[in-house]
Amino acid sequence: MSTPDPEVYEEGRGMDAHNAVMREVRSRNDRTYDPREPTRVWLDEDNTPSGVRTSLTIILNTGGCRWARAGGCTMCGYVAESVDGGTVAHEDLMAQVQYCLDHEEERGDEPADLIKIYTSGSFLDEREVPAETRDAVAETFADRERMVLESLPDFVERERLADFTDRGIETDVAIGLETATDRVRHDCVNKYFDFADFEEACAEAEAAGAGVKAYLLMKPPFLTESEAVEDMKRSVRRCADVDGCHTVSMNPTNVQSYTMVEELFHAGGYRPPWLWSVCAVLEETADVDAIVVSDPVGHGSDRGPHNCGDCDDRVQRAVKDFDLRQDPSVFEQVSCDCETTWEAVVEREKSFGMPLAR
Amino acid sequence: MTDYFEVHERDGPARLGEVRLADPLRTPGLVDEVLDDSGSRWPEERDVLDGDESTLTVLPHRAFPAGTDERVADAFATDYPDVEFPSVAVVSRDTAADYGADAYALSEAAGIAGHAAAFVETVLDVRGEIPPDSALYCSGLATPANVATLAYAGVDLFDTDKAYVRGLEGFYLTTDGEAFLEDLDELPCACAACQQSRETFDHEDCAEHNVNALRAELARVRQRIRGGRLRDYVEGQARHEAWLTATFRRLDQQYGYVEQRTPILRRDELLAASDDSLKRVEIQRFADRVTSRYHNRFDGPLVLVPCSARKPYGDSQSHAQFHKTIGYRGHKVSMTSPIGVVPQELELTYPAQHYDSVVTGEWSESEVEFVAEVLARYLDATDYPRHVAHVPPGGYTDIVERAVERCESDVEFEFTVGDHPTTDESLAALDETLEGEERYLKREREHNTVRAIADYQFGAGGAVGEEGAAAGDAFFDHISTGGRYPSLRVNSEGEQWATLVPQYGTLSLTLEGAKRWVDSDVPTKTVEIDGFVPQGSVLAPGILDADADIRVGEEVVVEGPRAFAVGRASMAGDEMVRSTRGIAVDVRHVEER
Repeated sequence: MSTPDPEVYEEGRGMDAHNAVMREVRSRNDRTYDPREPTRVWLDEDNTPSGVRTSLTIILNTGGCRWARAGGCTMCGYVAESVDGGTVAHEDLMAQVQYCLDHEEERGDEPADLIKIYTSGSFLDEREVPAETRDAVAETFADRERMVLESLPDFVERERLADFTDRGIETDVAIGLETATDRVRHDCVNKYFDFADFEEACAEAEAAGAGVKAYLLMKPPFLTESEAVEDMKRSVRRCADVDGCHTVSMNPTNVQSYTMVEELFHAGGYRPPWLWSVCAVLEETADVDAIVVSDPVGHGSDRGPHNCGDCDDRVQRAVKDFDLRQDPSVFEQVSCDCETTWEAVVEREKSFGMPLAR
Repeated sequence: MTDYFEVHERDGPARLGEVRLADPLRTPGLVDEVLDDSGSRWPEERDVLDGDESTLTVLPHRAFPAGTDERVADAFATDYPDVEFPSVAVVSRDTAADYGADAYALSEAAGIAGHAAAFVETVLDVRGEIPPDSALYCSGLATPANVATLAYAGVDLFDTDKAYVRGLEGFYLTTDGEAFLEDLDELPCACAACQQSRETFDHEDCAEHNVNALRAELARVRQRIRGGRLRDYVEGQARHEAWLTATFRRLDQQYGYVEQRTPILRRDELLAASDDSLKRVEIQRFADRVTSRYHNRFDGPLVLVPCSARKPYGDSQSHAQFHKTIGYRGHKVSMTSPIGVVPQELELTYPAQHYDSVVTGEWSESEVEFVAEVLARYLDATDYPRHVAHVPPGGYTDIVERAVERCESDVEFEFTVGDHPTTDESLAALDETLEGEERYLKREREHNTVRAIADYQFGAGGAVGEEGAAAGDAFFDHISTGGRYPSLRVNSEGEQWATLVPQYGTLSLTLEGAKRWVDSDVPTKTVEIDGFVPQGSVLAPGILDADADIRVGEEVVVEGPRAFAVGRASMAGDEMVRSTRGIAVDVRHVEER
């Protein structure tokens, strides 16, 4: 950011403003968390390049994202769920892993094929997860088929991935790209890397024998419904075109606590996306050469992606069905009167007249 | 600079205007057909569309929805280019400024719908920043039920988006709110979309109906503004939704905003049908001017009488009887809800002869309180040798007693009515009470009427009861009157200075009168113009400066290097200064310098 380009200057000012506001919003949260328990853990099924597999998803509590402490992304409330004060020690992180293994043993029939570890930050950042811990985690799950590790592109280095690939684990890096449009990522999400960084990370992962799963965010603040849909259609295609990126997870924004999105939501200036928008993107990009999935959180509620209230569960089921089968015809099986409302919103909603419907 | 929008008429904050497109658009109105959006800069860089005079082009923008932090708005605020075609700039409460556009789209509008406080504060802030002769546009907000109140608050442009989408959601919108279509056994409308059986009427028909209802309501709003009667309508219609009632009440609390925009005279009736009417600027202003500017010049006793339904009061049978009985021996002051007290000299003055109210024989507590408060202030501001209350027992006497208790002066009333003020007994009692009081001349009454109206219109040189002459004395101390009341000509020093205009109860000045005003100690309301000689009217672009306290309908002196003129203001002083379009002053007389 050293060039005296006015656009960059504008981005810098925008980032400063976003960060100042986000710091203030986050500071209202005074909850603290036990460093020996993960933020969340659950069992599920996932579509992977090798087929549908049982999965154990772990949100590891690592002290959270360093970017979020500076302010961070406008929609992300996960930092609020991180440990107060800073780094979590190796022993504590391993206690969290053990907690998850116990959870799996209690609830699952047999060990999951797929282990997904998110930190609301970067698992590959050694200031967040020490090398010692990374190695121990890889060792713990060495017998599994596949692992997904969340990281920002900066920390995707083949030496760090080697801990996993060398143990014969199919390894994917989950990158929160949010959108392929730099402008939207910077100005609406307040996330500061470029699509080019994502492309580099994909190349680096591929060189390490790993893959990349891109996470996209549908409808960050300040976009209309139609702009959000267009942004996602474009982003799915651009991600799928990048070598090494074999899966795209396109997820609608939900209103998380202590975020800028929540401030807008409370004041009446934000509505999460329609589930029809999710369907529209998945249906329209079904031909791309990548697995495209979506996992709407909080569907059907005011704070989550929603339609009219009557059809939300049915549409959510269609999305989950699509996730596993990648067959766009699932969307022909669901319909509701509110689809015409959604179409009118997409056609009419103006950036200076939103939200047009609740 | 505003090139393509012009305000033609004002009714409080509401305006009747025109977007001057190839095919002009009346406002308050819908922009759907003429809007061309260059687009939002949040997802991508945008170029300005090549606009032309057939459309309103929205300039590339970053919109800040409701809840956007001021720091974020400041950091991402867009600057707008000067363009040669009709344009719209998108602004928020934090970024509103004069960008030279013809219209301004308020980006929080859809988000703050339903929140009266946020809506009123935002509209006031934004209106204070954008030029008065630019249009304010609220997108995604208008419904048949809310558009009258929104226009009343000062919004000029709308679109059909909200009404249309609401229809698709299954809500049937009317001026009295909304209903689930499913709950309607019959369609309460006769628009084209509703010309079918209830069974075949679907959500798309509902959307079409909603748009029709919105169009019809906007036409009604425009007609109301034309007639100067939007407020009367809003007071009733807004009651169907709580937030709309809260909106106009909160506007009443923002007295300065509404007062500045409310004309001092109208030809039209003012119907005071609710307690909210008492908060109207017209009512408050009259009460304020009567108790702070007006000066009583009669030596006789005060005779309080009840108002009459017929206006002006002098035309009523009851007041003819009072007048005859008083026989120039007392100063007749009428007590009335909702305007308080009306001295006989001001019976023609707006809104004293223009209002109508709901008469049931019972007074509401707020009416009693309001009139008592005004009467108490009036008693403190005047100094009568005796006080006679010729009012019927009940509400009127309660008010008199409450006012006496409240006022600081030591006032004692003599009551002269037994049961009803126009019975022979009551009139005889009044006659008897006034026995021995000196009679004043009809000429004195006419002169004092001119002076009282001057007080009311031009303001006191000093507050009543304090040192410094009232406008009526400073301005019209040696006058004679010609003509027959109420069409009086006011002469002095061999020249005509003014005419009393019967339908407004105000004075229209001649050039001689205007010069006298300038020479007097009474503060002149002056419009300073450039070096030209105005013919018929002064347009806003020719104005260099204007006094901030000028209101629509007020007498103003127009002065410039080449001309001296007098006329009536068509816009408020602030609007004259900040506008680049529109008629500012209707010039009555002009002379070259």
